[in-house]
Amino acid sequence: MTDAIYPQVRIVPMRLLRPDTAEQLLNKLIQVGGIRRMTINGPNLPATVPYGPARGEPNPHPDRRAIRVGDQDVMLQIQVGMVILELEDESYIPAVKKAADETFADKGFSCTVQQGRYMKTQPTLSDYAKYGPDADRELLGLVDPRKKDRPIIIQGTK
Amino acid sequence: MAYKPQYGPGTSKVAENRRKQMNPNQKLEKLRDVTDEDIVLLLGHRAPGAAYPTAHPPLAEQQEPDCPIRKIVTPTEGAKAGDRVRYIQFTDSMFFAPCHPYQRTYTECYRFRGIDPGTLSGRQILECRERDLEKYAKDLINTELLDPARTGIRGATVHGHSLRLDENGMMFDMLQRRVLGEDGIVRHVKNQIGEPLDRAVEIGKPMDEKWLKAHTTIFHSLGDVAFRDDQEYIEYVQRIHTLRTKYGFLPKE
Repeated sequence: MTDAIYPQVRIVPMRLLRPDTAEQLLNKLIQVGGIRRMTINGPNLPATVPYGPARGEPNPHPDRRAIRVGDQDVMLQIQVGMVILELEDESYIPAVKKAADETFADKGFSCTVQQGRYMKTQPTLSDYAKYGPDADRELLGLVDPRKKDRPIIIQGTK
Repeated sequence: MAYKPQYGPGTSKVAENRRKQMNPNQKLEKLRDVTDEDIVLLLGHRAPGAAYPTAHPPLAEQQEPDCPIRKIVTPTEGAKAGDRVRYIQFTDSMFFAPCHPYQRTYTECYRFRGIDPGTLSGRQILECRERDLEKYAKDLINTELLDPARTGIRGATVHGHSLRLDENGMMFDMLQRRVLGEDGIVRHVKNQIGEPLDRAVEIGKPMDEKWLKAHTTIFHSLGDVAFRDDQEYIEYVQRIHTLRTKYGFLPKE
């Protein structure tokens, strides 16, 4: 769970990102360093058609694929619309802004970088049902508690 | 003096576009030429070339009750043949799509016969007899009511009208029924409910931002005409709101 001493920032691009751009952005961000936790958000790209007469049929979508971030493969299940970061301290924020601006400079759109509190501060009922009372509070909110996926750990330089 | 419909209030460009679309005497600009066969593929209700399945025998073959209304109303071609009722559904992006759900319903009611439109916040469905539907769908797709990037033909899983656009300017679609090709042409690779098509159906090039802003029927305070800037529209909406609120108390002006 978030400790108030760690600043959080949210990067919101003006467009939903394609996997290539997301990969570029995330790699630039991890080069900045000082990131404790990171979440990517956006609308879901389901593996099967969720509603309607074609419900349950496979949904081939070229943007639902793995991207390489640092030394790890990250399977994208969403179209990236927002990146939330928890940083070690505020001194990294200008570098995060610069990395985001550089990524979008030649794409024809911009982004906003805001500081605030964007990660979970309390375990929800779903978290409690899945992880129990002794859950690792660092991991809460990083992944959807209804899914089996675990957070991906990208090794830093420390 | 003969009644002359006004179609809607407002002095802004958006209001003018709305009136233009609703007025059946105003011919809509034709922008693309999607063929009949392609429309059948997009709708996905029957195979191209297949006979129209029927819900009842043709009207000429069945005994009609003696009804004065039936004598007044001429049946549409689909009703005459006893076609099934089928649908087409649209999603319009809030980023300056040329049409939007309420507007679509008004426009269709003024222009088409024998339809049952359903209006929701993010989608609009049009139900009618199958062969009428194909005729109407052709008008809706080939004219200025549709933009290949900002308007979606989505029978189900419509999410996307209020989201940011994709990097390439297309409206988000989790089933990606439409793909913007390298050549700048948008093609349907799935039908409206998300089943892959045997061959891609070309819809054409997305319209540019200037055209969209000139033809949109959506007020948008960021980047285009804001609703508050159209005084006449506000006055009208407030009047309707006041009257319908007072309706139960016998309104008198």
